Amino acid sequence: MHETWSDILVGAFREVVQRLSLVAPRLLALATMLVVGWILAALARRLVIRVLRAMDFDTRCARWGFTAGLIRGGFRQPPSQLLGRLVFWTLFLVALLMGIEALEMPATAGLVAGAVRFLPNLVIAVLVLAVGWLLANFTAQAVLIAAVNAQIPLAPFIAGAFRWLVVSFTVAASLTQLGIAREMVLLTFGIAFAGAVLALAIAVGLGAKDLAREMLESHLRGQNRDQDSATHV
Amino acid sequence: MAEWLHAEAVLGTEGLRALDALGPTEVLVGVYGANQARSVAQVAEAATKGLSGALAGRASAVVVLDAGVGGDTAETARAWARAHPPVPPVRGLRVPGPPIRGRAVLAALAAARHLEAESCALVDAGLVSLPPEGVEQLLRPLLGGEADYVSPAYAHTPSEGTLTSNLLAPLCRALYGRRLQQVVGACAGLSGGRLGRLLDAEPWDGDLTGYGLEIRLTVEALTSGERLVEAHLGRKALDPGPAAPDLATTLARTVGPFFGLMDRYRSAWSGAQRSTPVPQIGGPPALLPETGDVQGDRMVRAFKLGLKDLLPVWEQALPEETLGQLYPLALLAPEEFRFPPELWARVVVDFAVAYQDRRVPRDHLLKALTPLYLGRVAAFLREAQAAPPQRVATILDTIGRAFEAEKEDLEARWR
Repeated sequence: MHETWSDILVGAFREVVQRLSLVAPRLLALATMLVVGWILAALARRLVIRVLRAMDFDTRCARWGFTAGLIRGGFRQPPSQLLGRLVFWTLFLVALLMGIEALEMPATAGLVAGAVRFLPNLVIAVLVLAVGWLLANFTAQAVLIAAVNAQIPLAPFIAGAFRWLVVSFTVAASLTQLGIAREMVLLTFGIAFAGAVLALAIAVGLGAKDLAREMLESHLRGQNRDQDSATHV
Repeated sequence: MAEWLHAEAVLGTEGLRALDALGPTEVLVGVYGANQARSVAQVAEAATKGLSGALAGRASAVVVLDAGVGGDTAETARAWARAHPPVPPVRGLRVPGPPIRGRAVLAALAAARHLEAESCALVDAGLVSLPPEGVEQLLRPLLGGEADYVSPAYAHTPSEGTLTSNLLAPLCRALYGRRLQQVVGACAGLSGGRLGRLLDAEPWDGDLTGYGLEIRLTVEALTSGERLVEAHLGRKALDPGPAAPDLATTLARTVGPFFGLMDRYRSAWSGAQRSTPVPQIGGPPALLPETGDVQGDRMVRAFKLGLKDLLPVWEQALPEETLGQLYPLALLAPEEFRFPPELWARVVVDFAVAYQDRRVPRDHLLKALTPLYLGRVAAFLREAQAAPPQRVATILDTIGRAFEAEKEDLEARWR
């Protein structure tokens, strides 16, 4: 019962061909999914951008202060293009997940189901981040203008502190929503927030008590309402 | 709830009953305010004295309209009327609803229309400088058929009314083609005809914030083509009440409604070209020499701080070209500081366009104008103090002409 060298070779070849014949259609399905997904995502991106431009979305975003926030965050593209890209990558990711599921590999089993379960939390977390980012920029700008008008030195520093306070609160809320290291996030945020407030209180109490008293006194006496002795209206 | 120019809608049934109790009223003085208990009695007294003097033969009344919290202004007016029973009668009415000053102005207009008054004077409850003769000055041209709208003009020093002299009046002159001294004058006179022509077709909600309603009345008078005169009322002193707003809020409350109305009256200002003066009664108001100490250095510091720290906000409103002209000003010492009227007019036009485009939240935009305004005021006062008194009028005229020169550009950029 000795197999010949050629039998072994043929057997191995058959084995490989048999396995490939099982895997190849799945690989083909993955490739098809990726190509079709890419094409559909690209079409959807174009459509979304066109619809948003027709709705004058970029101008509206500029009016709501969203564009300024994006630029400050390092995003140089118009909001319509950013949304188009978001739609593109979301659809492509869905196609990729479907393709991976089609492979029916043990390692990827349940990947799509898991991703679908995770999606609502992800959407909420992204929304919380977006709203928080807008709020942070709005608050920081209001604080900056008020501080400069009150001729307070280091106004950009104070405004920046407000921005990062709101942003860090938002990030903590988003991470909690995603269930990522929930206890650690809550603990870290709590300690950092309490520490910042305590540091501020000590700084004002020790370093700026005279300034605070002077400002309060002048406010209560009705002084410093205007920056000068001119009447305006 | 939408605010209409109907007495019942603004004053409620009780207020309407109190109005009707006045009987036929030929001349009405509507004193409007919110939380002005401190000054309202003085203004009501001036109004009654004015009506009982030269206008004694006419059926007249004074109605105090109070849109403040708690109704202290109306109560003070009623208490004063009880203690000194005046002729003509004085009524203190509380305007129900949210405590917005503009609602008191609206109520005064609605009351005058409801009573079918032949003439009406609107007076801010804080205008403590109003003399009894001033009431007559506001009403006489209306009763004599010489005018449909009387706007006040005041004697003033350069440091008084700088927002009016450096922004509101020159912008008004450039847009609507009339050289009016006061855009928010704290008082005005309206004929019965003018009252009747005030719009019924739309609610007045959009004009109630800040000085919106007073500014709209002025703009309506300027654009209606009706007869407009200025009455010289001496020097202006306005009691701001217990909660005087800071400068940034004042800017937002005056400049915001003015910019807002530019959209509504776009068709009216797009055609007007050269400006013409407004006829004056009682002679031109005097330009008085500066007496007090004006802290120009502090204003220049505020401007420089703004240029350093508010640049991210200004960059959203001002084009690079305008910013490029502002940068060198930061290098000037306070004693040599200047802010040319041409550059200031350009800044205001840029802000107006940014306001219309909503490039920045509007409240932020208007408050971010404060350091620029202070810089301009510092330069204006420096120039006015260095010049002989008779040259101040020329300086003011130069500002007006600078705004007129910017109008073409403004029209092109206004969408």
